[in-house]
Amino acid sequence: MDNSTEILGLYPTWYQPALGSGWVLGIVAVIHVLASHTSVGAALVSTWLATVAVRRNRPELLEYVRKYGVFLLVFSYVLGSITGPGIWFSATVASPRGLSALIHSYVWWWATEWVFFVIEVVGIYLLVYLAGKVDGRSYLKIAWIFGLASWATMLVIVGILSFMMWPGQERWFSEGGTLNGFFGPYTFAQILSRTCFMLMAAALAGGLIAAYIRDGAFRLEMTRKLAWVGLFGAVLGAVFFQWGLTTLPESAQLLMKTRLPGSFVPTMWAILAVIVAYFSTLLLRPSALKAPLAAGMMVALLIFGIWPEERARESMRKPFVAGQFVYSNQIVARDVPALGVKSELPVLESRGMLAVHPFIPEHLRRVDAGNELEAGHALAIVYCSNCHGLGTTGTRPFGEMFAGNRDAEDIERFIKGALVTGNMVNMPRIPLRDDEAHALALFIASLPLWHSITR
Amino acid sequence: MDIDTLYALRSSSGLPSHPAVFLILLVLTWALHMIAVHVMLGSTALALTGAFAANAHWRRLGSAMLDTAKVAVSLAIVIGVAPLLFVQVIYDPFWYVSNVLSARWAIGFIVVLLVAYWAMYHHYFVGKEGSSGSSRWSLALSLILLLAAGFIMHVLASQALRPELWMAWYAPDGHLETSGAGIHEFNLARFSFFIALAAPVTGAWLLGYRRYLAHREDENPEYLDWIAGLGRKLMTGGGFVVLICYAMWMATLQDTAGNFPLSLWSFLANGAILLLILAPALFRSPSGSYGAFATAAGAVLLVAVAREALRHRILGGAHGYELSTYTIHFDWYSNALFCLTFVGLGGFAIAYSIAISWEAGKTKGLYTASPRVDRLGKFALAALCIWIAQYFFFGFLVMAQ
Ligand code: HEM
Repeated sequence: MDNSTEILGLYPTWYQPALGSGWVLGIVAVIHVLASHTSVGAALVSTWLATVAVRRNRPELLEYVRKYGVFLLVFSYVLGSITGPGIWFSATVASPRGLSALIHSYVWWWATEWVFFVIEVVGIYLLVYLAGKVDGRSYLKIAWIFGLASWATMLVIVGILSFMMWPGQERWFSEGGTLNGFFGPYTFAQILSRTCFMLMAAALAGGLIAAYIRDGAFRLEMTRKLAWVGLFGAVLGAVFFQWGLTTLPESAQLLMKTRLPGSFVPTMWAILAVIVAYFSTLLLRPSALKAPLAAGMMVALLIFGIWPEERARESMRKPFVAGQFVYSNQIVARDVPALGVKSELPVLESRGMLAVHPFIPEHLRRVDAGNELEAGHALAIVYCSNCHGLGTTGTRPFGEMFAGNRDAEDIERFIKGALVTGNMVNMPRIPLRDDEAHALALFIASLPLWHSITR
Repeated sequence: MDIDTLYALRSSSGLPSHPAVFLILLVLTWALHMIAVHVMLGSTALALTGAFAANAHWRRLGSAMLDTAKVAVSLAIVIGVAPLLFVQVIYDPFWYVSNVLSARWAIGFIVVLLVAYWAMYHHYFVGKEGSSGSSRWSLALSLILLLAAGFIMHVLASQALRPELWMAWYAPDGHLETSGAGIHEFNLARFSFFIALAAPVTGAWLLGYRRYLAHREDENPEYLDWIAGLGRKLMTGGGFVVLICYAMWMATLQDTAGNFPLSLWSFLANGAILLLILAPALFRSPSGSYGAFATAAGAVLLVAVAREALRHRILGGAHGYELSTYTIHFDWYSNALFCLTFVGLGGFAIAYSIAISWEAGKTKGLYTASPRVDRLGKFALAALCIWIAQYFFFGFLVMAQ
């Protein structure tokens, strides 16, 4: 079924002017990262606490595990289990072909993760409802199955996410095989840093429950325990994170250096310092633990830790969105001989996007004097709108690009010189034909006019 | 969209197994998703009725059903992930286009579901045990939002069956419409059918619940009889409503569905509905039965098969889309990984979880696991350890190559 020269398998575009579809996906993803990492970390901490509780016969500790479980159930599990498929939904609408590329290679891994996910969700209910109702040995089994299954969900997703950034082994492109794409140095670095990070997040969340323990001595003990877990997670996590950076390919190192905002590295160190200071304070003065403070720390972690980290991960893989062969703007830009995947750039170059995109209205298939502006708009939607706002709002909006220059010829020159040739480091190559470049330039130059017409 | 375009929209990465495998898993897991959805909707509705009722039985049942609803929501969501995965594996052209064209609703689905879930918890924590406080309205909100979430799913599924209209939706009058704000296709009869199924399935659930309570010696027999009576009524009465909805759905099918209503598959669906209506007559034991619920689950599975046949009739029959032409790049490792994890690990872990919560629920006081139950747990734990070991084994093997 080879129609690749006739029509490309490109999807319609969802254009979100206020935030950009990428940010919508980002917001869902960040919430999911916090919730899911807290859940997995908490599963590990609960497993440990349940073990101590049963071994030493300490019902109050068991009660803590139960309360912690209820809290997790209501917050991180609800949030995590809804934003999880939520990421699929938002990736579907923001980047259908990127997601599709991941799904089609890794469907069985994801299905495997799903098995663990089911076990995990059933497990948290058992942990909560069977606390004190079954014999100790059984409770331990439940706790361990729950803890290990949770951790296994992370083991699976880490490899898929690593593949999304860079297929683990270069030979994946020529030989295929999901294992080759899954495992690389970055995969292992992430397993370690994420596990630590999870423990840290769980220690923060655990503080929310510990703050309400009435028995003073027990509260002290729990606060100290959690502080140790948090400290350990934060410090080791930072070490492994640094190691992870050294496993990145050169292109990513370059992007990290040139494209990340200058505030990125200081912000990461600052949030780490704040977290270390927080846990150290709790070790020295456990009475300092208060629920609002613990909640504030969670929010700080979300805003100053996870959000920049996720944005960095997103910029590092630019201009690709998946597996270093699908561009952010959905175009397949590299051959993957193992799968028979062919780069679409040559076809686009020779025939033009307007001619081969299935979702282009017929009257725009060829640029002519009567449709230039609208054809330019269609091209901007397809080629650019994944990363740029087509106005003054959203991410990297066109309104703020080209240094305010609204001269169509200048813009066209820039497009042909830098974009058509693929000379922008973090941008996809945009293989426009001459008539298309002209139409796009015209559209960009007349954006204010366009908006007044279409509004 | 012509067939060449539909094929072009397929992922160029191909599939790691034969599409039939994914199709079977899609139907199977979707049926499980729907069973959970039905129990969820039914138990929420009963909990809501109980929260507003004065009758003691109703209030008691309502509070018990709130517990069921809470767990059923999680299960509906968790199980829903599987068909969500498989549908985009084999029907990617249709699923992705449908989602993009209603992108705001696909994103809204997440928010709707979150609020629905938390509203239910709000009622649970604030208004439990027969209180008649204002938190009842949270539960009502929860039910409405759950239905809204289901409606969004229904829209996405329906739009996927209309490739011939996509372009008119995406570029009305030839101008691109990229806001993703529209809802372009739905069929209220079809939606009502899938929602109404909640009544008989929940009825069957109640018959099972009645049977479960039979183990408790100090139960009020009048309450037990009342539950069984309600269960029967829901099964038979609800079954008739489902039948009417089905007829209306068949009468309003899109023309690309051809003569589906007269097909064998449609007879199968009718048979499934009759089974639901007749189940109370088949399982007449006054102490309730689990058989009714097993029957209901089987009926939902048959409905799922018929629903899939309809999709095939439309996409295959009217548009010429054949699943079997999907390119395959067989990947032995991940095939084996899933099969073994699903059957070996998942089987043991879920069997253990069900067994131990079942036994513990029936036991007064502390339950000590029987050797058989305990062994299941040991197997599950061992399988998990082996799984993690093989993960690192293969990981290092790949790195060493
Ligand atoms: C909790 C509220 C939910 C309700 C009431 C609900 C209800 C429904 C209904 C009625 C359908 C059938 C639509 C039709 O064929 O006309 C459906 C299909 C589906 N649902 Fe759900 N659902 C819910 C949540 C979810 C979630 C959270 C997921 C995913 C994680 C999900 C995944 C799916 C999938 C994949 C389909 C089938 C799509 C297809 O085969 O084309 N659902 N759902």
